[in-house]
Amino acid sequence: MAVGYQPRIVGFLCNWCSYAGADLAGTSRISYPANIRVIRLPCSGRVDPMLIVKSFELGADGVLVSGCHPGECHYLEGNYHARRRFALLRSLLDYLGIEKERFQVEWVSASEGKRFSEVVSSFTGELARLGPRREA
Amino acid sequence: MKIGVFICHCGTNIAGTVNVPQVVEAARKMPMVAHAEDNRYTCSDPGQASIREAIQKHHLDKVVVASCSPRMHETTFRRTVAAAGLNPYLLEMANIREQCSWVHTDKEAATSKAIEIVRMAVAKVRRDEALFPKQVGITKRALVIGAGIAGMQTALDIGSAGYQVVLVEREPSIGGRMAQLDKTFPTLDCSACILTPKMVDVARQPNISLLTYSELESIEGFIGNFKARIRKKARYVDEIKCTGCGECARACPVAMSSEFELALGERKAAYVPFPQAVPNVYTIDKRGYPPCRATCPAGVNAQGYVALISQGKFKEALEVVRRTMPFAAVCGRICTHPCEGECERGKVDQPVAIRSLKRFLADYEFKVGREKPTPIATTKQANVAVIGSGPAGLACAYDLTKAGYPVTVFEAAPKAGGLLRYGIPEYRLPESTLDNEISYIEELGVQIRTNAPVKDLGDIFNQGYKAIFLATGAGLSRKMGIPNEDTDGVIHAIDFLRQVNAGVELHLGGRVVVVGGGNAAVDAARVAHRLGAKEVAIIYRRSRAEMPAVATEIDEAEREGVKIHILAAPVRILSKDGQLAGMECIQMELGEPDASGRRRPVPIKGSEFFMAVDNVIIAVGQAVDRTALPPWLECTSWGTLVVDPTTLQTSIDGVFAGGDVVSGPSDVIAAVAAGKEAAISIERYLEGMELTEGRAPQIKRVKEVPKEGVKTQKRKAMPLLDLEKRRSFDEVELGFDEKTAIEEATRCLNCGGCSECMECLKACEAKAINHDMQDEHIELDIGAIVMATGYHFPALNAYEVYGGGKYPDVISALQLERLLSSYGPSGGEVVRPSDGTHPKTVVFIACVGSRDEKTGNGYCSRVCCMYMAKHAIMLREHDPEVQSYIFYPTVRGPGGKMFEDFLVRAQEGAGAIYLRGEINEVYQEDKKIMVCGRDLEKDETVKIPADLVVLAVGMTPSIGTTDTARALNISYDDRHFILEAHPKLRPVETTTDGVFLAGTCLAPFDIPESVAQGGAAAAQIVTLFSHDTLSTEPMVAAVDSMKCVGCLLCADVCPFNAMESQVLRDGRTVAVVNESVCKGCGLCVSACRSQAVSLRGFSPEQVLSEVMALWQ
Repeated sequence: MAVGYQPRIVGFLCNWCSYAGADLAGTSRISYPANIRVIRLPCSGRVDPMLIVKSFELGADGVLVSGCHPGECHYLEGNYHARRRFALLRSLLDYLGIEKERFQVEWVSASEGKRFSEVVSSFTGELARLGPRREA
Repeated sequence: MKIGVFICHCGTNIAGTVNVPQVVEAARKMPMVAHAEDNRYTCSDPGQASIREAIQKHHLDKVVVASCSPRMHETTFRRTVAAAGLNPYLLEMANIREQCSWVHTDKEAATSKAIEIVRMAVAKVRRDEALFPKQVGITKRALVIGAGIAGMQTALDIGSAGYQVVLVEREPSIGGRMAQLDKTFPTLDCSACILTPKMVDVARQPNISLLTYSELESIEGFIGNFKARIRKKARYVDEIKCTGCGECARACPVAMSSEFELALGERKAAYVPFPQAVPNVYTIDKRGYPPCRATCPAGVNAQGYVALISQGKFKEALEVVRRTMPFAAVCGRICTHPCEGECERGKVDQPVAIRSLKRFLADYEFKVGREKPTPIATTKQANVAVIGSGPAGLACAYDLTKAGYPVTVFEAAPKAGGLLRYGIPEYRLPESTLDNEISYIEELGVQIRTNAPVKDLGDIFNQGYKAIFLATGAGLSRKMGIPNEDTDGVIHAIDFLRQVNAGVELHLGGRVVVVGGGNAAVDAARVAHRLGAKEVAIIYRRSRAEMPAVATEIDEAEREGVKIHILAAPVRILSKDGQLAGMECIQMELGEPDASGRRRPVPIKGSEFFMAVDNVIIAVGQAVDRTALPPWLECTSWGTLVVDPTTLQTSIDGVFAGGDVVSGPSDVIAAVAAGKEAAISIERYLEGMELTEGRAPQIKRVKEVPKEGVKTQKRKAMPLLDLEKRRSFDEVELGFDEKTAIEEATRCLNCGGCSECMECLKACEAKAINHDMQDEHIELDIGAIVMATGYHFPALNAYEVYGGGKYPDVISALQLERLLSSYGPSGGEVVRPSDGTHPKTVVFIACVGSRDEKTGNGYCSRVCCMYMAKHAIMLREHDPEVQSYIFYPTVRGPGGKMFEDFLVRAQEGAGAIYLRGEINEVYQEDKKIMVCGRDLEKDETVKIPADLVVLAVGMTPSIGTTDTARALNISYDDRHFILEAHPKLRPVETTTDGVFLAGTCLAPFDIPESVAQGGAAAAQIVTLFSHDTLSTEPMVAAVDSMKCVGCLLCADVCPFNAMESQVLRDGRTVAVVNESVCKGCGLCVSACRSQAVSLRGFSPEQVLSEVMALWQ
């Protein structure tokens, strides 16, 4: 692992569950590493695979998509579509040389502040272990 | 474009970690930023004023506020910029507090992250467009789900304000948990006294539509414009006609555990949950068909008559049997009782003696004297002919006569009854009993002509009959096909039994062997015994367990001395000079299963043996006498008639058939079922109706039958004739007496709930009962919703460590309330559930299942400390000698008015001893419950022999809370309490606009808090309804019809059906968004392959610009 290497993570969070959960981590003052940059969207189903591919293309070390737990999507079905889409995308990314571990999909509810911080911490740690992206 | 960036210090919340001036500097350098400044508290008055001034002064087009979460203040700042003349949607927020300064400790890292967050917001706001909300109408009707104190308060407040409310409650009455309480803390008001006036107000308020015994099924739509679907469950009682007199409950024979009394008391199947119920109407609790009734081929209502027997209502019980079929005496003696095989009581100890109880009813009527029934009026013209007076024919005639048709039964034999008379031996079914039962049928109006064989069906039609039911049975004996089968001394069982019953003198030798294992074989053997044979044996080719005869009959045959030889069969009859000399047999073993699924018996080579016999009775089966039937009827290869399985129609129009002539030899109840089915077909045929539709009625059989608390009680044995007397033809089964019958009937578990005995129907003078009611589905337009579904306590067996669910004297606090309550199961006497004595030592255990994630819920249930003090005070009031001990880990008088004083009163006034400590063990020792623990103040072990132990169990959200939450599209936490929009400032709202909350579905609360929340939710709704229109959310999807290819994939993925197709003038089909229905989730955007769909506020360009900003 390169010394001083700080992975850059792009996070796509849904407004109703995971973004609220992340806010709760804040109000509860639970610390986690500062490597993540969060983009708020209405639903995890809004996350276009294009956005993930673009993030990696620009140089992201890891991408996190987070939404409501299956069965609890504020828009009923968005996270089901997200789940299916990203299962396929992960295999494609792996094929393109972006390791599966760099793309995480985690369900975090609005009351799971602690869990959000744990997700980010463990993802950051995992990426630090993987090291920087391999050159194509 | 001129963007203004406003960075907030938020006191030290942001500025303490993020270097705000550095962020301001960086912002100034970002593209298109014309102005950047910092503020200490941007959301405050001066802060907002500063933004407005800057917009004016620097002619800003767009604004970024870097402060807290947009979930906190986006609405606030949208208003701020709108006040300055900008479109409110030209604002973005950068969350540098909850997701930056509050979660990162490294100041440098936090500052560079803050700068990047601002950069993303600036990039996004560059691409923001002005958006304009639409105005929609508001339906000024509220829906309140749950009619406990919170729901009732909400409904009353909204109704008083002049708006319509629909109040839905799933129990038969409103009132919720408060109705179960005795007194309320700290005032010790009687709970019912303060509650019932509110309940009456709810009933009286004209703006409130009360839908009790109803549940929410689904909700669609959005604030101001919801569509609700509600299921009103069938109570089987007309709410408007019912006067609440209670005669139905008095007449009802079915007792069930009362949910309101928490299993400490019972109620009837027709009930009101408590005396002050609103609405004051009865409800009939039907759980489904009990297994006995569902299994009976003829559909006899076994639960109905058994329940009535348990109440001593024998005449009414016999009526229940006769509603379905006329053979109480016959089936009560000889039925194969499939019902008993399915009886749920059989899973506890033994099945209820359903058959013998039916017999008891017929015998009782015979004993007390039967009134002649009124002949049934003939209301129809068409004559029906029934050929054969066996059980199938008579059952068919019975049903058709009751339907008003003139029926004539033609019987070839000298007397009616078929095999009932000429096949079943006298000791099983006495002729006098059969005569009595057949007379009953004739007295009703069925015409039976004996000595009248029918050969030509055409003849019958010519006589004017319009339909025929052929039920001539299978009365021919099957031959074995072994050599010398027709030797003198060999007789076939059917012929043998017929002759005996007909009074023919038969002489049997000393040794009689019966071949076969069915009922005819066993009957023949036992008859032979009674005719004087010295040795009687049965020889059967399969094993004993596979003998088709009724098990009790086989047992009795053995007790009477009949020997049973299994796994053997005759090979040939040996005759000498035309006389029977003996029988050669062979041993069998069981081989592969045959077509019927039974293992085929295979002869063992070389195992032949000789049996010395004087008579052989062959009982290997019955067949249809083809020669006795008219020639043109289609038959199977077995010789039985071919009929349509649903309608029982034969190959001749207007001729139906059933019973043994169709099925081959079967049992009486199957024949009765066939006769009844044919009656339905014949009635439809004669009325010109369609025959096949709706023939198999959809029976909903009860699924779960709870058996908690059922004590085992052996099935009453049928008294039998002494063995010494078994050489006569006197009846062997002697029948139950009244006391035995009632005791046996009391063993019934009443699986179906209401037994449909119809006694309530007779008792109701208001004619309010209708057993055919169906659930109703109601659709309503609704503008706002309040969820007030409350709490419940989990079952006590979750707390077995404290004896919950194990010892009857360990109860929950709510159960104690029922004991204290004057309208409770003990009339207000505090008594031990086990023996009814008054407890002198009562131990309370606090925090059961609360404040401990390991054993239950991690939260405090808020009201228990207060109610335990209340209980201590009330127990002393009921009995000055009671000593209460309260074991607690901690005690709280949570901030309410007079709460601490109340706790003091419990100790000083009522002498309650508070022990701060832990419980180690709770166990039963003789009559006491030993509570062992450690007193942490005195640091010593404590062992208290308690008469009663009360567990202060923690509240959990009502069953079904999560289902309702999902239907309303609102969130709940991991304990299933509903999440409010903001725990501090928006305690009764949810994140779904238009859906509000009140009461304990949110968290454990006490009564004044629930009432206050009810009022708060009502105020929100009244505010909403005070407007005429509502602004819709403008962040909806939009389709670029130039790019759209019309694949409509977006319509497939849209969860709200907001995408519709439209044909443009150039003929292309494109997708178009219904903006009223679109909720702005964006699934369509990510599904579209042509990049034709965008989401306003989160367009592809906007979101991508945020991503790209990270690498600029």
